[in-house]
Amino acid sequence: MQPPPPQGGMPSSAPPHAVPQNSVPQNGVPQNGVPQNGVPQYPADQAFQPGGGLSWSPISKRYTWHRRIAATLWAVPITVLGAYLVARGGGALGAALWGAAALISLGLAWIVADLAYRSWGYAERGDDLLVTHGVFVKRLVVVPYGRMQVVDVTAGLLEQWMGIATVRLHTAAAATDAVIPGLPAAEAALLRDRLARKGEERSMGL
Amino acid sequence: MPPGPYGAPGGPYQGPTPPPVRFSEGVHRLHWATAPLRMFVILSVYFVLLGLPLLLTQTEDGVVLVLTPKAVARFVIVTVPMAFIAVGVGLWAWLALRFRVDGDDLVVETGLLRTRKRRIPLSRVQAIDVVRPLVTRLFGLAELRVELAGGEQNAIALRYLGRGTAQQLRAELLARAAGLPGHTPEAPERPLWRVSGGTLLASLVLRLPVLGTALLLVVSLVLLVLYAELGMLAVTIPALLGLVRAVVAPMVMYGDFTVAISPDGIRLRSGLLEERMQTVPPGRVQAISIVEPSLWRSYGWARLDVTVAGYAGERQALSSVLLPVAPRQVALHLVAQVFPGADVDAVRLLPASSKGIAGAASGAGTDDRIFVVRHGRVCRRTDVIAHARAQSVRLTQNPLQRSLGLATVHIDAPPGPVRVAAADRDLGEARAILESTARRAQAARAAAGDPARWAARRS
Repeated sequence: MQPPPPQGGMPSSAPPHAVPQNSVPQNGVPQNGVPQNGVPQYPADQAFQPGGGLSWSPISKRYTWHRRIAATLWAVPITVLGAYLVARGGGALGAALWGAAALISLGLAWIVADLAYRSWGYAERGDDLLVTHGVFVKRLVVVPYGRMQVVDVTAGLLEQWMGIATVRLHTAAAATDAVIPGLPAAEAALLRDRLARKGEERSMGL
Repeated sequence: MPPGPYGAPGGPYQGPTPPPVRFSEGVHRLHWATAPLRMFVILSVYFVLLGLPLLLTQTEDGVVLVLTPKAVARFVIVTVPMAFIAVGVGLWAWLALRFRVDGDDLVVETGLLRTRKRRIPLSRVQAIDVVRPLVTRLFGLAELRVELAGGEQNAIALRYLGRGTAQQLRAELLARAAGLPGHTPEAPERPLWRVSGGTLLASLVLRLPVLGTALLLVVSLVLLVLYAELGMLAVTIPALLGLVRAVVAPMVMYGDFTVAISPDGIRLRSGLLEERMQTVPPGRVQAISIVEPSLWRSYGWARLDVTVAGYAGERQALSSVLLPVAPRQVALHLVAQVFPGADVDAVRLLPASSKGIAGAASGAGTDDRIFVVRHGRVCRRTDVIAHARAQSVRLTQNPLQRSLGLATVHIDAPPGPVRVAAADRDLGEARAILESTARRAQAARAAAGDPARWAARRS
């Protein structure tokens, strides 16, 4: 196992990945950023870590409860209505099965809510923002500050009541999809202001 | 530059030069013929929907067209006010839209009683199209479209302008967007390639899905005739429609396709019925895909698909092709024009991990300017994005990839036909690609600067 990479998230033993001093190609010689010998130059177990001695800033624990309450609020009417309809058509056994299925789904949703909370993280680096999340499909997005077009903070009714908010970053690419949910409202506003300031300093257009 | 087979530089649209229009002075309107054209459209719709039924009389034998005094009176009573309304609407629409060029902005005002003013900063123009649908070609009219980043509502369409006026306005808008004075004459262009009708037809037919559909059509027709089995129509008709969509429609759309390079960007002209002239300024192409269907490779042909920010929704499908078919070398030359200094073939591609489903057919590589991904065994696609154009970089890992220790690196561009993603790289390698791409993008952006005002910046 290799030691964690040095600051900046760059593997020290990676000349092909070095930042080009100028953008003039050297006699057309291809400089592959892909490792030449197929050996990973970044420790695989660190691939979803922020790197560079940083650690993920977590989101609020209230995010878990927000998801759980939201799931419960959805589950109750679905369970009751479904059980009523099933009971009318198939009797008490069907209704009981329906109820059991709904309960199991709700239980899974509660567990996933906690896993999702643990999977979220963001880190502010010198020139870009890193966001990671995903329980089943793991994602890590790197958004350069200069590419941010809009940073907005939204909070639904339940989120407002719980004092959390969602920070959303828009770039020209719809696929970027950099969202940080479940931040304490004050922290969200601070993060937005910080990101907006950094974005303005480095703004690039398209 | 020797004159090509297309005539002198400056393109085939020269003719007698009309006196120059100064768009920065006074207020300009659409071509006056827009008003009668609109009246004509309104009256035709009215006549088909309401006018003709008014002339018909219900008798015992059914509905007949007899010009009885009663029917004529009824028709006239409704038609005269309708004609006044049509004239009013036509004149209103013509009077209500005014535009002018004010400094670096295009100002479009709509409405007569309540004016709505839109100010479009020309530095944000993504592309300018001059479109001439068949009907307006008869009247010498053209539609000018200014594409801006950010979706369907953000395009400005001036329909219709006089043909010469549209050309001049396009030249002026491009000059101002480039940071030059507005009266700069239209930049000369260098023809690069012209797609001949035969090649286009052959390239459209020589695709496995098209050949398969054609075979299906023939078989179903034979069965239809031999056994008089009407049920086969369920196969014949969709197959026929599919062929029309895959061969005839592109033939009409990309017929007479020419590509030219000018300092204002890439100029595309195409269309048998509806003539389109597109100008994509430098730095506006976000990503390119070199598409080589299996049957094309023996002829050495390639197609270029591009993502241009601004073309949204339906127009994206119309405007996503930079070159419908050309020899691979020409396509690569055009890629080098779009992303200056890029040499796709010089980039060494490393195959994806053999463990993943993408397999050895896909590979990825990069140099200081571009990131290249190749994938697809049957229809080979080579996706190219310039580091300077990358919006964000992503790493994703689905459950299957997690069990194999793989991940996919995405280089995000604005929405369009090209998606650049290096699939199934080893996890450590994927993160290394992610980091190096983020840094190269940073360096490329710092070196390239804002793509607005390209002419002023270069000089």
